[in-house]
Amino acid sequence: MSEIHGAVGSYVVNALDPDELEEFEAHLAACPTCSREVREFAETAAELSLLASAPPPPPALRSSILAAISEVRPLPPEPPAETVAAESAPREVVAAPTAGRPVDELALRRQRRRTRILSVLVAAVVAAALALGGVVYGLVNARQVQVAQQAAETELLTAPDVKTYSATMKDGGQISFVVSKSLDRAMFIGRDLPTVGADRTYQLWTLEGQRPIADNVVPGGGDRKEFFRETLDGVTGLAVSVETAGGAQQPTPSTIQVVTEL
Amino acid sequence: MNVSSVPPGAEGQPPRSGSRSEAGSGRETEAAQLVELMTLSSRGHEEAFAELYDRTSQRIYGIILRVLRSPDHAAEVMQEVYVEVWRQSARYSSGKGSVIAWMTTMAHRRAVDRVRSVSSEVARDERYAYHGGDREIDLVWDGVEQRLDVERVRKGMASLTPIQREALTLAYFGGYTQSQVAQLLKLPLGTVKTRIRDGLIGLRDALGVEA
Repeated sequence: MSEIHGAVGSYVVNALDPDELEEFEAHLAACPTCSREVREFAETAAELSLLASAPPPPPALRSSILAAISEVRPLPPEPPAETVAAESAPREVVAAPTAGRPVDELALRRQRRRTRILSVLVAAVVAAALALGGVVYGLVNARQVQVAQQAAETELLTAPDVKTYSATMKDGGQISFVVSKSLDRAMFIGRDLPTVGADRTYQLWTLEGQRPIADNVVPGGGDRKEFFRETLDGVTGLAVSVETAGGAQQPTPSTIQVVTEL
Repeated sequence: MNVSSVPPGAEGQPPRSGSRSEAGSGRETEAAQLVELMTLSSRGHEEAFAELYDRTSQRIYGIILRVLRSPDHAAEVMQEVYVEVWRQSARYSSGKGSVIAWMTTMAHRRAVDRVRSVSSEVARDERYAYHGGDREIDLVWDGVEQRLDVERVRKGMASLTPIQREALTLAYFGGYTQSQVAQLLKLPLGTVKTRIRDGLIGLRDALGVEA
């Protein structure tokens, strides 16, 4: 057995060093024996993962992931032909469509390499933009805001004292409030919210006892995430109402959708 | 006023059926159901994906957290992995192995990528503070539930030689490269490479894994 075959175990447990990884992947594309072993070892490693006992993932992570996927379109299936592989590889590869997996992984890695290249390009663009006086600044800034938002979400969702209060609104919309008192922050998550009309909007409220304080507005329709603007100091409850676009200073009693006590 | 709140965690998840695999046919049924959920996901069925999440998240989170140790990093990688599973769902086919293996492979790779990307910083020193012996293995084995599947895997691991077991554990659960494993175990790189592969062969045969 040539030495390169011996790397198959390390490959499956992602323990190859970068230079050897490239070499092995090149070999794998043309070696049915290694392809088979990769598949078997991947099943074996999946069983091995059972020994990694862990607490269940934080419940809020589920809401966050389900909200995230609704904004992502699944890729179309790969074109049916594995003809490229068939032309250059031994016959067994054609007989076993399972040989597709390493190809798939290769594609993934290439894609990630492209992403890395892309981020280098972005960095170059940013540098150029700064030199030119910030034409692209708005764009870059928007991206930074998005990254910051993501970080804030993750911080909230993984806070040790995070609590999720799920509720059904009067109009049927499914929502959750994700609350961490230690971080002093709360987030609204709406799944598949009803539409409320172009001139209307959902509005969030914090309640200090009986006193409602106007917070951020959230458009109707689809999946929405929005942090509360207010901190939780003195806050005893969270509420949602439907108001005219732009929001109101006082909630309209008849349009209050849900009130949750903390 | 419609006051309705439920305790943390109770988010109206659909009742699970057979989400813990039993041995034999139960395991095969579970595997077939995951394939079905993946197929539905590829057509954009978010409820099917939610079900897929409910059935797999504990296991996927387990391996990610085990490699990364940090719940913050684990939550981020978990989100990355599931969004990627959703995005790639049409690219899965049963010819590529089981759904759980496909997902575990992706999760482990992303977790390891994350370890390597942060390990140049403080984390590296911490991670290299390895005290020898079976500490790494103890951590893995502590608190393992005595479920049937776990017991099978544990027995499989016990059938390996100590070096095979240690090399495989450091690489898979520790997220170390084979060169790092070689340093930790003070063994030549070639030996470590062989032990990792032999360990996987031994475990595969002990578990009767087919692909």
